[in-house]
Amino acid sequence: MNDYLDNARRNIQRAMNSSYHSLTEAASMAGTLATSTGFQVLSRLMGLKVQVMPTSESPPNSPTPSTAELDLQSTTTFTPDQIRLVSVVCGFPKDIAMYPDYVKGQFGEDAWFRTSTSKADALGVADGVGGWRVYGIDPGHFSRFLMRSCERLAHSADFESTRPEQLLARAYCNLLEQKQPILGSCTACVLTLNRESGILYAANIGDSGLLIIRDGAIVCRSLEQQHHFNTPYQLAVPPPGQGLNVLTDGPECAALLEFDMQPGDILILATDGVYDNVSEELLLQVLSHAAGVTDPVKLQMYANSVALMARSLSFNPNHESPFTQNARRHNIDAPGGKPDDITVVLASVV
Amino acid sequence: MSLLAFGGGAEDGSSSDTEPDALIDFTAMLMERKHECNGGWFSCGSKLQSQSHEDHGYYLGQYVLGVLDFSSQYGIDYSISYTAANVIGRPTKFPAYGDYPETFTMRTYGDWWQLAPSATQEIQAQNLPSLPTHDFIVVYFEKFVVPTEVAIFETFNPGGVVRIWAYSITKRWTCLWEAKPSDLNQVPHDSRRFAPPLKKTNIITKTLRIDFNHSRLNYYTEIDAIMLCGRTVPMRCMHQLLAPVGKRLGNTGEESGNGPIICKLRTLKFQPSCQANDAVKLHEFINNDLSKFLMDSHVESEQQKHNSTTEICLTDLPCEILLKILSYLDLKSLFRMGQVSHLFYDISTHPLLYCDLSLKSYWQLANSELLCTLARRATMLRKLDLSWCGGFGEISPTEFKKFLTQRGDNMTHLRLNSCKFLNASCIETVGIVCDNLIELSLRNCTTNPPLLNFSCLANLKNLERLDLFQTAFESELLLSMLESNRKLKHLNLAFCGVSVNMDNVATHLATYNTQLVSLDMWKAHFLSARGLQSLSRCQQLEELDLGWCMREATLGDSLYQLLFNCPKLKKLFLSAMRGITERDLMHIATLGKNLEQLDLMGILNITHERVYDILVHCSKLKLLDLCFCDNFMDRDFDVIADWSRLFNVDIKNSRIYNSR
Repeated sequence: MNDYLDNARRNIQRAMNSSYHSLTEAASMAGTLATSTGFQVLSRLMGLKVQVMPTSESPPNSPTPSTAELDLQSTTTFTPDQIRLVSVVCGFPKDIAMYPDYVKGQFGEDAWFRTSTSKADALGVADGVGGWRVYGIDPGHFSRFLMRSCERLAHSADFESTRPEQLLARAYCNLLEQKQPILGSCTACVLTLNRESGILYAANIGDSGLLIIRDGAIVCRSLEQQHHFNTPYQLAVPPPGQGLNVLTDGPECAALLEFDMQPGDILILATDGVYDNVSEELLLQVLSHAAGVTDPVKLQMYANSVALMARSLSFNPNHESPFTQNARRHNIDAPGGKPDDITVVLASVV
Repeated sequence: MSLLAFGGGAEDGSSSDTEPDALIDFTAMLMERKHECNGGWFSCGSKLQSQSHEDHGYYLGQYVLGVLDFSSQYGIDYSISYTAANVIGRPTKFPAYGDYPETFTMRTYGDWWQLAPSATQEIQAQNLPSLPTHDFIVVYFEKFVVPTEVAIFETFNPGGVVRIWAYSITKRWTCLWEAKPSDLNQVPHDSRRFAPPLKKTNIITKTLRIDFNHSRLNYYTEIDAIMLCGRTVPMRCMHQLLAPVGKRLGNTGEESGNGPIICKLRTLKFQPSCQANDAVKLHEFINNDLSKFLMDSHVESEQQKHNSTTEICLTDLPCEILLKILSYLDLKSLFRMGQVSHLFYDISTHPLLYCDLSLKSYWQLANSELLCTLARRATMLRKLDLSWCGGFGEISPTEFKKFLTQRGDNMTHLRLNSCKFLNASCIETVGIVCDNLIELSLRNCTTNPPLLNFSCLANLKNLERLDLFQTAFESELLLSMLESNRKLKHLNLAFCGVSVNMDNVATHLATYNTQLVSLDMWKAHFLSARGLQSLSRCQQLEELDLGWCMREATLGDSLYQLLFNCPKLKKLFLSAMRGITERDLMHIATLGKNLEQLDLMGILNITHERVYDILVHCSKLKLLDLCFCDNFMDRDFDVIADWSRLFNVDIKNSRIYNSR
C-alpha cells in the first residue's frame, strides 16, 4: 500500500516538476517580450497581482487544474523583520461537471478568501454543507458569502488582527443583514497573522482546519469539532420556521488557537476533503520540502500536488483513508476515499 | 477606470482653469507609494498616489478615505451591508444597477415618512431652502486639493444629491454646488457617475459633505463611491491662494464690488466716480458724490409723490403688525433687517420672534458667538433646533450649557440631532433645566460610553416624543424614562444597539405607556413573540416599524393579537421578518382596515393570492413594499404593475437583477 502511494506521489511530483519548468520558461519568455522599462514598472509596483494562465501545459495525468494566481509582492512594502505570508490556493470541486469554470473564491461548495492589510494577513476556508441542495438551497452561496464578507470586513477600520473569531462573528452577522436571504450552513476556519508580533491567530468551527509544519514535523494543528460522525459544527442560517430542526452552532463555538510563527514554517489551511483523504504522514512527506520556499510559482506546485493527491485518492475505492479509519472507530464500514470538494490554501512564512 | 492623473501644473497660483497637459507621468507617480494596494495598479485600495513635487501641483482624482459623520444609514454599524462605510474606496458595483449591499443606503426614501403618523414639523420652517436636506454624509480624502470635480457614483435610483459642500483649510464650509428643482427632473433610471458643475473656487479642501433630498425618489438611493478631483497644492502656493479674493482677481472699480448699493446706484443711472481702492471708495462717495446723488434722487421722489396716493411707510405700522410680518422671515433675513436702522433693530430683536429657533439650515455658520447673541434675544424660547451644528468644534459645550441654563426653562421642543459637541454634562443640563420638555430628539449620538446613562434625564416627566434614532443609551435610563413619562406618544429606538433588550422595553411600554401612537424599532434586537404580544396592549398604536427586528423568530399568535388590538394601525413595517406565515398575511388583510403603508420586504412565503387579498381589503393602502420576496417575484412584473394601477397603490418590487 505504501509503495503504491509512494509511486503515485513520485509520478505526480515528476509531472509537477516538468510542468513547472515549462511554466517558468513561458514566464521568462513573457518577461523578455515586455520592454525593460515596462518590466521595471511592473516589478516596482506594490501589490501587483498578475494572472498567469498556465499555458497549454497542464499536467498530463490530471483533470484541468484551476488557474494559478501569483502574488508578486514587492519586498519594499514591508520592513525586513516583519513576518508575512506568501500564499497560494488550489482545489477541485467534487463534481467537475457541475462547476466547469474556475471562479475565484470557490471550489464547488467550498469557498476561500485571502487578503492582507497593512497590519496582518488573513486567510480562510469554508465548507458548505451539501445537504441543503435537497431543499432547493445552493450550499455554496452561504460559504461564498461568508468568505467574501470576511474579506471585506478585514479591510474595515475596526478589524482586530488578534481576533479572527470576531471577524467570523461579524461576517456571520453580516449574512443575517442581507435583504436577499441567504440560507444554508457551512464549517469555517479563519486565521490571521499579525505581522508585527509574528503570532498566528485562528478560529475554527467544524472539520476544516489548519496544520503548521516546521522542520519536517507538525507543530500545530487546529481542533476538529464534531457533534457526531460526519456531522461537524457548522454556522447556519436555517429557513424561517425551521430553526429548531436544524443544527446551528453560533460563532461563539469557535475553537481558538494562537501560535508563534517563524520564517520557514509551512501553513496548510484546508477543508475536510483533504484531511479525510490524505493522511498526515503523506502531507508531511510532500510539504516538508516546501519549507522556506518563497517563490509563489514553486509553492503553487506543492499546493497543486496536495490537491491532486487528495482528489485522486478520494476516488480510489481501495485507499485506506483517514475517513475509513475514523469510520471504523464508529463501527461504520466506509472503504476507499471520500469524494468531496477540495480546497487547499498553502502559505509559507517568510 | 479613469483615474485622472494629469502631469504638470501651474507654476504659481494662477487661475485653476489652466488646461492640464495630457501626459501621464508614470515614473514620477511610482516614486512615492506610501501604502500597499490590494489589487493591481488600477485598483488601489482607496486613492491614487501622486507625486508631490516641490514646484508644482498635480491634478489627481481620489476616492474616499474615511467617513466622519452621516445622518442615517440603512444597515447597522457592525455589519458592512448598506452602511455608510461602503462609500470608502473605489466603487465596487458601478456601473451595475441594482440594490446591492456593498453600497451606502440611507434610511428613508420619498415622502412616506412625512406622511406617517410620526412625522414632525420643522421648527422655524421658513429657514429651509427650497430643496431641504433630509440626509447628509461627511467624508474625507487623503490629499488637500483645489476641487475641480466631485463625482458621485450612484448605483440605484440616482437623483438624491442636492448640495455639495467643501470644508476649506480656513475652517469654513463652502457650497460647491446646489441643485435647482429642475435638475431633479430628468434623472435616468440607470447607474450614473454624477459630476455636477462646481462653483469656481480657490479653496483647498479634503473634506466634503454631500446633502441628499429624498422627496422625488421612488425608492432608496444608493451611493457606491465618491471621487474628489482637483489640483494638489504645494506649500509654496498655499499663502498665495489664501490671499483675499479681491486682491487676486485684480479688479477695477466697477467689477470688484457687486454689492447691493452699487447695483442700486447703477440702476439709478448714477455712476459714482470712485478710485480703484476699496477702502476709500465710500469715503469719497460721501464727500464728493453724495450731494449730487441726493439731489437726483430727490427729484425722483418728488415724482413718486405725485404717483402715490398715501404716504404710509413701513415704520408707521403698529408694532404687532410689524412683528407679524417679520415672523415670516428666515433667521438670516431677520438679522439683516436689524442692520437697517435703530427702529428695525429693536423690532427684529424682539423676543417674540425668537420663540421658535432653528439653526439647522445654518449648520455651517453656527458657532458659539451666534449662540451668545441669540441667548440675549431669545428670552421666550420654546422650540430649539440645533441639529447638525457644531460638527468641527465651532460650538463649545460650555456655551451651550450657558445657553440652556439661561433660556431652557420654558423649552418645550429640543432637537439636537447629530450634534457632535454634546458631552455628558450637556445632557445632564438638559435633564436638569428643561423639565418642561414635550419633545426631545437626540439622534445620532453614538458615543462610547453612551452619553445617555444612569439618571441624567430622569427629571423629564412630560415627554410626548422621544427620538433616539441611532443613539446609544443605557437600558436602565430608557426604562426609567418610560416609567416617568406616561404621556409618551412617539418613541424612536431604531439602531439602538445590542445591549438593549426589546422584550423588556415592550413590557414596559405595555405597562406604562399605553398612549403610544408610534414606535420605531428598526434593527433593534431580541424582540420575540412575547414582546410583540405585550405591544398589543398599546391600543392607540398607529405606526409600528419592526423592520429587521425579529428575523427568523416564530411569531405564533402575536401578530394576530397586535392587529386585533390595534385597529388604528396606519403604518406597519415588517421588513425581513422572515417568520411571517401565510396566516399572518391573511390576518393583515382582514384586520388592517386603516393600513396606509405596509412594508413586507424580504418575506419569503408571500403568494399572489395573499397580496391580492391585502390589496382588496386594505382600501386605504398607499404604499406596499414587496422587494426581495423571492417566492412572489418569480412571476411576471406586469401583474404587479396592473394591480398597482388598479388599486392605486405604489408597489415596490426591486431585486438584484444579476444572477448569483
